[in-house]
Amino acid sequence: MTAGPVSIVTSRVRPEQVREASLVVIIALLIVFFATQIDGYLSGTTFTRISASFAIVAVLAVGQTLVVLTRNVDLSVGSIVGLIAYGVGTLLGSFQDLPPVLVIGLCLVLGGVLGAINGVIVSWGRVPAIVTTLGTLAIFRVLLVELSGSKTVTTESLPTWVVDLPRVDLLTIGTLDIRPLVVIALAVAVVFQLGLRYLPFGRRLFAIGSNPDGAQLVGMPVKRDVFLAFTLSGALAGLAGFMFLSRFGNITVAAGLGLELQAVAAVVVGGVNIFGGIGSIGGAVLGAFLIDLLSQSLTRMEAVSEFTRDALLGLLILLAVASDSVILARLRAGWQSARAREMARRETEGAVVG
Amino acid sequence: MTDEQRDPEPIIEVRGVSRRFGSTQALDGASLSLYPGEVHALIGENGAGKSTLIKVMTGVEQPDTGELVVDGQPRSIASALDAQALGIVAIYQEPMVFPDLSVAENVFISHRDRGRIVNRGQMQRDSKAVFQRLGVELDIEQPARGLTVAEQQTVEIAKALSLNARVLIMDEPTSSLSANETRRLFRIVESLRQSGVAVLFISHRMDEVFEIADRITILRDGRWIRTARRGELARDVAIRDMVGRDVGDFFKRSRHEPGPVVLEVRDLGLSGVFDGISFAVRAGEVLGFAGLVGARRTDVGLALFGVAPANSGTIEIDGKPVRIASPNHAMRHGIAYATEDRHGFGLVLPLSIAANLSLPSLSRYTGPAGLLKRADEAATAREYRDRLSIRTASIESPAGSLSGGNQQKVMLGKWLNTNPRVLILDEPTRGIDVGAKADVHRIIDDLAKAGMAVILISSDLPEVLNMSDRVLVMREGRQTAVFGHEAATAEAVLAAAMGEAGATAA
Repeated sequence: MTAGPVSIVTSRVRPEQVREASLVVIIALLIVFFATQIDGYLSGTTFTRISASFAIVAVLAVGQTLVVLTRNVDLSVGSIVGLIAYGVGTLLGSFQDLPPVLVIGLCLVLGGVLGAINGVIVSWGRVPAIVTTLGTLAIFRVLLVELSGSKTVTTESLPTWVVDLPRVDLLTIGTLDIRPLVVIALAVAVVFQLGLRYLPFGRRLFAIGSNPDGAQLVGMPVKRDVFLAFTLSGALAGLAGFMFLSRFGNITVAAGLGLELQAVAAVVVGGVNIFGGIGSIGGAVLGAFLIDLLSQSLTRMEAVSEFTRDALLGLLILLAVASDSVILARLRAGWQSARAREMARRETEGAVVG
Repeated sequence: MTDEQRDPEPIIEVRGVSRRFGSTQALDGASLSLYPGEVHALIGENGAGKSTLIKVMTGVEQPDTGELVVDGQPRSIASALDAQALGIVAIYQEPMVFPDLSVAENVFISHRDRGRIVNRGQMQRDSKAVFQRLGVELDIEQPARGLTVAEQQTVEIAKALSLNARVLIMDEPTSSLSANETRRLFRIVESLRQSGVAVLFISHRMDEVFEIADRITILRDGRWIRTARRGELARDVAIRDMVGRDVGDFFKRSRHEPGPVVLEVRDLGLSGVFDGISFAVRAGEVLGFAGLVGARRTDVGLALFGVAPANSGTIEIDGKPVRIASPNHAMRHGIAYATEDRHGFGLVLPLSIAANLSLPSLSRYTGPAGLLKRADEAATAREYRDRLSIRTASIESPAGSLSGGNQQKVMLGKWLNTNPRVLILDEPTRGIDVGAKADVHRIIDDLAKAGMAVILISSDLPEVLNMSDRVLVMREGRQTAVFGHEAATAEAVLAAAMGEAGATAA
C-alpha cells in the first residue's frame, strides 16, 4: 500500500507540532525583518544580548508551563525572583565564601518553599490559582520591602564569581558568545521536556489539566501533583532569582517586577493552552525567545517608542491566544478529516484485499 | 373537563414528525395534539423519543419531515424564543434558575418587552399576582439560592405563566420531589388546567400518569403507538405498548455455568441517593442493571468504584468485607468502572491512545529509574488495538481524533489493562454506531467467558436483556427486582422499573 502525501503528513505531524514549527518560522521572519531595518543587526552581539535576558524568562516559562498544564497559573514568580535575588544577595554580602553549589541549591530550596505555599493554598485550600498567586505576588513583594528596609544589594558586595558568571564565554562562535545563563536555561528546558515525556508525573500533569475529573477517577493524586507543579515553579523561580542577581548585581525592591507577565506571555505565545492539558516546554521556550527577540529588537528601532513596544507585545499575546483557539481548532479539524479519509481509504482497500 | 366543553381546536399539533441523529432514528412520524385545558401524559421507554419530541416542540431541534401546527396554522419553530412567542414553554427535571437573583427577578428574567429600565415595583406586583394565581406562598424578595427543587420548579412555572404560556411541557417534574411536594405540584397543575393551559406531562411513574392525565400518548422507537383517554387504557396494555422495540440482530451470548461469587453487596445505601441494594456477581457472569433514566444505577456504580462511596451496607470481595472509599481502593480490589461520560470522566482527549490506555496503570509502566517504559506502553496499545478492533491509523493519535465507538473501546481497554476481576460498564454502547456496538457486545461476552464478573448498566432494555445472565431492576434508588435470564422479559423488567405492583423479586 502506498501512502499519499497527506497521510505521511498526518501520521507524523500533530497540529500541536505545527504550532511550534510556525513559531520557528515567525522567529526567522522577524529576524529577517529586523535585519533589513537595523544596521548591523545580524551579528553575534545581538543574539548574545538577547540570550542574556531570554535566559531568565525561559527558566520561569518552564516552571509556568508545568503549572499552566494543570489548568492553573502562577502569578507570584516575579515576586519570588525578587525576594530570592535580594535574600541570597544579602546573604552573599555577609558570607562571601559560600560554595556556588550551596548558593544555587539554597535558591532552589527557598523558591520551592515559596512555591509550596502557593501549592498548599491551591490544592488543599481550594482557592483558585489566580487569586492565590495574586495574593502571594503582593505578599512576597511586601516581604521583600520589609526585609530590605529599602536598602539595595550592590554589585560590589557580591563575590566575584557571581558577578562574572554572566560574562564568561563558554564558547565563542564568531561574535556570538555562549554564556552560562543561557546554558543553564537550556539545560533546565531539556531536563523538564524529557521529564514531561518520560516521567509518570509529566503524563499526569497533562491528564489533570485536560480532564480533572477523569484524572481523579483513575486514582491519580491530583492534589499532590498540582502542589508539586507549584513547588517546582517556585523552585525554578528561585533559580531565576539567582540568575537575576548574577546578571544585574544591583537588587532593589523592584527586582523582578512584572516578570510573571513575561513568563505567562511566553507560555501562551508558545502554544501552551491556558485551559490546561496541551503544550510543551519547547514551545514555551520558543515563546520566551520570540518575546525577548521582539522587545530587544524593537528597543533598537528608533521609530518605535517604549509604549508602542509594550502595545506590540500585548497584541502578540492576544494574537497567540486567539490563534490558539481558532487556528489550532481549524488545523485539528482539517487534520482529523484527512485522517478519516485515509482510514476510509485503507478500510476499503483492506476489504478488497481481504 | 368533558368533550363537550373542550375547545374543538388544539393549541398545538405535531403531525408525522421525524428526526434522525446519525444512525439513530429518534422520531419516526410521531404525532401528538394538545387541547386547551388538558393534561396530556407522554410515556415511553428510554430512547422512545420523548425528549426529542419536546425539543422539536420547543424549537431546540428541527424536524427532518413532518409539521407543527399552532392554532390551525402550520408553523416552523426555529428557536426557543419562537416557541416562547407562540406560548410554548418547557420546564425540566432540574430547574434552571439564577441562584443570585431574587424570585421576582427570576420570574421576569426573559421579559424583553418591558423597556430598558427595570420597574421594580411593577415586577414585584406582577410576580405576586402570578404566585397568587398558582396558589403558592413564596417570598419573592428572597434569592433563588435557598429554594428547594420544588420551589424552583414553581418559579419556572411562574416564569412560564408570566410569558403567557398556553402549552406547558413538564419533563419528569416529579422525579426529585417528595410525596408532599408532588401533591402540591399536582394542585398547581390542576389550577393550570382550569385556566385553560395545556400541560404535557412526561413521567416514568405510572401511578402519577394514571392519576393526573386526561389523555395518554405512548411512544416507542420514535413512533406514535397509541393515544387514549385515561379511563380507556389499562396499565398492562400501556406497558405492553411501550416494550417490544425492534432490536434487529443481536449478539448471541454463549451461556455457561458461572464460577464462584466475586463481589457481594448487602444493603448498600447512600443517603438520599439509593438504598437497600443487595446482589452478588459471580466470575464469568454478566449482571445487568436495568431501570429508567434516573433510577440511580450509575450512582451504585460510582459507589462501588469509590467515587461517591456508599455510607451504609457492606461490600465483600471473595467473601471478605472490604472498604471502598476511593477509586484507588476499588482498583486495588480489582474493580474497574468504565464510565458513561466518556468526555467528562473517561478519556484525556489530547493525549495519545497509548497514553490513555496506560493511564490507570502507570506504575506498571514505570521502570527502575522512574521513567516511563514507552516501548512497553506501545506494545500494550497495539495489543488492545488488535484485540478490541480499535480503528485508528496510529496508537500515537490523540484519543480525541477517534469516533465515539472507538473512544469507547479505548476506555474499555484502559480498564481491562488494570486486570480487573469485576468490570462495571456504564452505558457502554450509548451513542455509538451499530458496528462498534456489536464489537462491544462481543468483547463483553469474551470477558465473561474468560471468567470476569461484569456489571452491565444500560438503559437500552433489549441490550440488558440479551447480554445479561441475570437482571437487577432499580427504580428511584431502590432495587425492585432481580430476574434470571429466562424470567427477564421486557414486560416484567419494565413493570418493575416503573414500580408496577406484581413485579416481585425472584
